[in-house]
Amino acid sequence: MAKKVLIDTDPGIDDTMAILTAFNSPELEIVGLTTVFGNSVIENCTANALRLVELARRPDVPVASGAGRPMVVDAELIAAPVHGEDGMGNTHLPAPQGQPVGMSAAEFIVKTVLENPGEITLAPLGPLTNIALALMLEPKIAGLVKEVVLMGGAATVPGNISPVAEANIFHDAHAAERVFGADWPVVMVGLDVTTRVMMTPAFFDSIFKADTPYTRLLQKMLPVYQGFHHDFYGMNGSVHTHDPSTITYLLRPDFFQTEEWPVHVETSGRCAGFTIADRARQWGDRRPARVCVGVDAVAELGLLHERLTRY
Amino acid sequence: MRKFWIDTDTASDDAVAILMALRWPDVDVVGISTVSGNVPVEMCAVNARYTVELCGKDTPVYLGAAKPLLREASYAYFFHGPDGMGGMNYPAPRRPLAEGHAVQALIDAVRAHPGEITLVTLGPLTNVALALALAPDLAQKIPVCYVMGGAAATLGNVTPAAEFNIWVDPEAAKMVFHSGLRLVMVGWELCRGEANLSEADMAEVRGFGTVLADFSLDCNRQAIETNRTWLKDPALPLPDPVTMAVALDPSVSVRQSSHYVDVEILSEVTRGMTVVDERGVLNRAANVEVCWEIDIPKWKETLYRTLR
Repeated sequence: MAKKVLIDTDPGIDDTMAILTAFNSPELEIVGLTTVFGNSVIENCTANALRLVELARRPDVPVASGAGRPMVVDAELIAAPVHGEDGMGNTHLPAPQGQPVGMSAAEFIVKTVLENPGEITLAPLGPLTNIALALMLEPKIAGLVKEVVLMGGAATVPGNISPVAEANIFHDAHAAERVFGADWPVVMVGLDVTTRVMMTPAFFDSIFKADTPYTRLLQKMLPVYQGFHHDFYGMNGSVHTHDPSTITYLLRPDFFQTEEWPVHVETSGRCAGFTIADRARQWGDRRPARVCVGVDAVAELGLLHERLTRY
Repeated sequence: MRKFWIDTDTASDDAVAILMALRWPDVDVVGISTVSGNVPVEMCAVNARYTVELCGKDTPVYLGAAKPLLREASYAYFFHGPDGMGGMNYPAPRRPLAEGHAVQALIDAVRAHPGEITLVTLGPLTNVALALALAPDLAQKIPVCYVMGGAAATLGNVTPAAEFNIWVDPEAAKMVFHSGLRLVMVGWELCRGEANLSEADMAEVRGFGTVLADFSLDCNRQAIETNRTWLKDPALPLPDPVTMAVALDPSVSVRQSSHYVDVEILSEVTRGMTVVDERGVLNRAANVEVCWEIDIPKWKETLYRTLR
């Protein structure tokens, strides 16, 4: 039976790759997309999510629009230089046909989890605002979600948006602290693994040969993302594999090495967004997250190549 | 009729504030949402329903947030008694809770009556923060929100710096204060001293000989004791009823001005402090109308009107 997955996302170039990979994976049943600010403003993220379900010929998949800002503080950092003005690498696609459903992302999450007790895997690919709001709205969901597999954090490596913080966690550190502090199974797919999987120009060239509507979109979107990775890290056309690694974990957890560490999130000061792994359990009995610390990059890239070239 | 929505952590003084609104001639209370605060949210909902029934009303009472956004729950049994009602152990209410989550009910009510529902908050701002996060349009659709909370440029109660409602969930308060919602802040200091119901005032209320007059004093018996021993105040403090009096009759507030107000969330020492930029030194846009002074005889008469 296919795994029921609810993707919370701020598309987003790597979100796009992740979502297309998920739609191309029969092992997964995508029960909905919920959107959040992050890689772009919420209006763009929601429009992009609607475009993606339409591109994937799955307009039946509901899209629920969510938080446009962090819970407590006003982070005005939107990652425009990374993902383009429209969040899709300045492709400026036509407006989507569909509309988001008439409830907020957090309500949609609560409703979906309550209707499918024990079956829903949450896959957050952006700031964790909607997930935290859903937990606050209905604390019972903590016991009813199968797993939370999130892209975010950095336990053993430096951050990206700051020397210590990964961008998704940084954009709503309070929400992240709530999510890591809840009594539910969290898998952290963070920079510890996502920066070790490089999608190279050769990898993309090979994918583009498939020449499907998906690969043609990726081809148009990528230059902005590659440009950022080059300007910031000097990567000569390669990019890190952030959000797609989360989908890889859903498909093949055996590709990853993990550790059971309680994770705490710093919510203020210049270390805001720092995900601290409490390896020696010195900060009390918080339920450990499963933190990905190693990955078989070759195997992951092979899987992504296969899924991204399907149509 | 003016429409009101009351968000409350119903213990003794909340109960008095609720009955004031239910008894006020030109006000229709369309819903009551409960929130963790003075006592656990389930107990708040029992107390709110009991109060509604005592007034002969059928106002829906919804169950809301069971704990603050990020902090552990903190209660004030020491002030309100083990049942939140002075240990009076009133009988269980007969009517059930209204169906649905308080936050959703508040959102639905405001969207069904945009621009019409005055919000009065008597507890921590958890529900309101959640509602605004889920539905930011509420900030423009609620004409005004009267907040019992904070301490404007003065001392706190639960700590030297902070008032209980804001201290319990400072992150929620910060979210609400910066949401764009029009706020009138009625700090706890406005129920102190002369604004307490004195011995003579309480004797007068007792003399009304009504069920509601007796109820208002009886359920607050623990509050009177604790107020004297703990805060060295003369008699019965009623912060929630003072706020409700301002909401029912804004002329009860006689000195009010708009300022930039922020809430401290980082410090342990000053957690939940409401910092009012009274002199405008930060040069930021005002976000809160601060009530500095009330007409004390008028406040008491507003209360008495509903108890006679």
